[in-house]
Amino acid sequence: MKKLYIIGILIIAVSVAFIVNLITNVSTYATFETATNHPGKEYHVIGKVNFNKPLEYDPHANANIFGFYMNDTLGVEKKVLLNKAKPQDFEKSEQVVLIGKMKDDQFIASEILMKCPSKYNNTKELVKQ
Amino acid sequence: MQYIGESLIYGEIGKGLIALSFVAALLSVIGYLNATFQKQTSHPWQLLGRASFAVHGISIFGIFALLIYIIFNHYFEYYYVWFHSSTDMPQQYIFACIWEGQEGSFLLWTFWHVILSLVIIFCSRDWEAPVMSVIMMVQVFLCSMFLGIYIGDFHVGSNPFILLREHPEMFDKPFVQSATYLEGIIKQGGRGLNPLLQNYWMTIHPPTLFLGFAATVIPFAFALSGLITGRVKEWIKPALPYTYFGIMILGTGILMGAAWAYEALSFGGFWAWDPVENASLIPWITLVAAGHVMIITHRTSRALPSSLFLSIITFLLILYSTFLTRSGILGETSVHAFTDLGMSGQLILYMAFFTLLGIGFFIYYRKSIYNKLPEEDILSREFWIFIGVLALSISAIQIIITTSIPVFNKITGLKYAPPVDVIDHYNKWQTPIAAIICLLIAVGQHFKWTHNDAKYLFKKLWLPFLISAIVAAIYQWQIQLPRIQHTLLLFCALFAVAANIDFLITTLKGRIKFGGASIAHVGIGLILIGALVSNAARKTISENRLKVNLGKDFPNTENIMLLKNDTLRMDKYYVSYTGKEKIDKNIFYNIDYFTLEGSKGGFIKKFSLKPFVQLNERMGNVAEPATKHYWNKDIYTFVQYAEIDKDKNNGNDEYNKPTDIKLQKGDTFTTSNSLMILEDIFSQKNEDNNLIIKAQFRAIDINNKEYTLSPEYKIIGMNAYSDDKELKELGLRVSFTGVLPKENKLEFKVAEKKSNSREFIIMKAMIFPHINILWLGCLFMVIGSWVAIIQRIKLNKRITPNHNNHDHKHDKAAPAELIETPAPANI
Repeated sequence: MKKLYIIGILIIAVSVAFIVNLITNVSTYATFETATNHPGKEYHVIGKVNFNKPLEYDPHANANIFGFYMNDTLGVEKKVLLNKAKPQDFEKSEQVVLIGKMKDDQFIASEILMKCPSKYNNTKELVKQ
Repeated sequence: MQYIGESLIYGEIGKGLIALSFVAALLSVIGYLNATFQKQTSHPWQLLGRASFAVHGISIFGIFALLIYIIFNHYFEYYYVWFHSSTDMPQQYIFACIWEGQEGSFLLWTFWHVILSLVIIFCSRDWEAPVMSVIMMVQVFLCSMFLGIYIGDFHVGSNPFILLREHPEMFDKPFVQSATYLEGIIKQGGRGLNPLLQNYWMTIHPPTLFLGFAATVIPFAFALSGLITGRVKEWIKPALPYTYFGIMILGTGILMGAAWAYEALSFGGFWAWDPVENASLIPWITLVAAGHVMIITHRTSRALPSSLFLSIITFLLILYSTFLTRSGILGETSVHAFTDLGMSGQLILYMAFFTLLGIGFFIYYRKSIYNKLPEEDILSREFWIFIGVLALSISAIQIIITTSIPVFNKITGLKYAPPVDVIDHYNKWQTPIAAIICLLIAVGQHFKWTHNDAKYLFKKLWLPFLISAIVAAIYQWQIQLPRIQHTLLLFCALFAVAANIDFLITTLKGRIKFGGASIAHVGIGLILIGALVSNAARKTISENRLKVNLGKDFPNTENIMLLKNDTLRMDKYYVSYTGKEKIDKNIFYNIDYFTLEGSKGGFIKKFSLKPFVQLNERMGNVAEPATKHYWNKDIYTFVQYAEIDKDKNNGNDEYNKPTDIKLQKGDTFTTSNSLMILEDIFSQKNEDNNLIIKAQFRAIDINNKEYTLSPEYKIIGMNAYSDDKELKELGLRVSFTGVLPKENKLEFKVAEKKSNSREFIIMKAMIFPHINILWLGCLFMVIGSWVAIIQRIKLNKRITPNHNNHDHKHDKAAPAELIETPAPANI
């Protein structure tokens, strides 16, 4: 039984280490407001792109910067600068998740995850007569 | 209303078969469960179990055949056929259509269970009844996933034979009112299989993965059977070959998924620690752990609780994995998206049921599974295998905790997101764990069971140790892995490979049939080397060379812009984008790669790559990579961005923002499609006595055709006016905006039409060094596992199935080093 205890303690200790490490590493889903209040800290922000405002992508100047405006879940709008090429079919995205931080009232994003409506529920397409 | 043209008979048969398969599975559980507690083997209860299984199996095959039939013949009156197939789709993807949907996936899973059950029934003798009762219990639940009935408001399963017009999404649509609706539907030819999934991976990856999933039920069923029947240790021997089989198939399935992602999807690699990938990796790791600890128990009677626990938990993790990927809970953390058919509740119920059953049994029988053996020797094989099992478990725990963040959020209502650099978070932990596992793989087989002499081990291991240290040093010098833990893992993995090859040669003397484990371990070592080197030493070569430094907030310069027909340098290559071609749904972008050869600097074309963008109406446009394979590296490219929509509105008549340009007479400048020469300047007075200065340009286009253009500058009194001139043929507008006497120059504004601008693509290119080692490793793992399975089956056959007298004589055929010392006597 002695060995069993050692193993048990080891596994629990390592699991606690994982969790502690994870808690110090996790990001949170936040709004622009939270991100603004903690400049420099990275957050996941979920929101919708405002397609009424211009999408700024000039690959001749820099292929790795793409600017657009996004409204977060509370409706707050900020300009986003994404440090990537403009994603294909960005215009079709319904919801986006950004990973990044706030700087000078702009959200500097390093990652983007786009959710297109069609990926989820395709039955919205009607059967045409 | 009488609808015209529908073939309802198939649906009726299909629904009947589904109901039958469900009821038969239930009866089979009852039969087998009762038979479990009977003494004689051919008891009527057992016959009931078997007969019901036969009915169940035939029904499942029938459902499968019927689905293929209606998809093949395009019976679009069925929702499943309409939704997942189309008339214009190549016929080889019929199977892919079946498992694109959730109902079909569950059907595939039950199908494999039926096949594996057949093997159990024919080979397991007195284990048949208990094992089959567990498997059929699982089967009852899986069948209910495509049952499609309502109990009150609770929706049980989703039936693949539901009619289009009766589907919940469709029944209120106007077309349902028309008796001849089917004609229109047939003309449209079905919604079809997602074009992204129309490739051969979709035909082979899901069946392999689901066979792997299905295989995990067998150790689970055997473990529970062992507990029920009081043969707490004897279940391991018959379960071992199936466990190895599961390790082999599930591992292959996962790597196929990785290969698919690498080859056909532009995720930029083969592994991204995506929750969906992790969901199948976790049970594989625990299955590997189970397979190893089962050998310890089988050989030495030790670690029985671990064998039971890991066999049980693996299956529960498969259910958990199914829940994660099918419930939509990963929506915000995964790039993969599986449809949620609103059956999360049902899946939670199953997980709860089998968790209670598995863990409940484990606790209930806890007294019979602990044995009081003396502590094992620290220099024994079982001790070190057990440490390996522990390391595997810890690795699995780390992945589970991080992958489960969305579940944790759902339960607590908190809003945690995965770490910002999630890949780094996993690698940080998994790299050292993998290194430890590799060390254990290297030394494990060289230990004998029970007790060893340290000198013997040293004698056996110094050579592989030395060789791998040298190779690791050379490797490190050649490819420069960025971090010390990478180098460490590289060495450990090389050591694992070298020590196992050494074991095959010096200890087994090349007798391959005993070397299954060694071959598989070489495979695992190679997989880790390939994964490590190709990832850690991966190099993005499509670096943007513009000198615009945007500061540390924008570190990414990984995409390069290629203007059509320009040649740019990329690593040691010179690349040129030469044009695009649309074939079917795909737009291929042809990119030529040149190298500069010799002192004269001639460009030699080396190869062309054609990454493409699939115009996918369903998911939006999808970039798919093109890869040049060399034996020691892959050059992997994909189009990040291309102006696809531009082709749609070719008559783009707007002008770009004009640019200012200062010229003297005789100066030239270029536009995107022509050469312009300021040929002459002359002034004249018009009838109102105003001064007009005319600048006369000659434009020469790429076909040497010439045009003239004369913008004017008028001075009327104190004011100056500039007069635009347009050259429609070249989409060019020049305005004469000023005279600069000091500089002796004239000032113009030149604007080009947007449609003039040259075509370009934004591309990403990466080099994955030595990635072939990964695929080679996979091959070794499969071959090794297969050899081990065959050998295990042979060993199991050799002894009489008298489980009360566990006998080890069968191992005499093994080389001296493998012969175990008899297990402690309290079996």
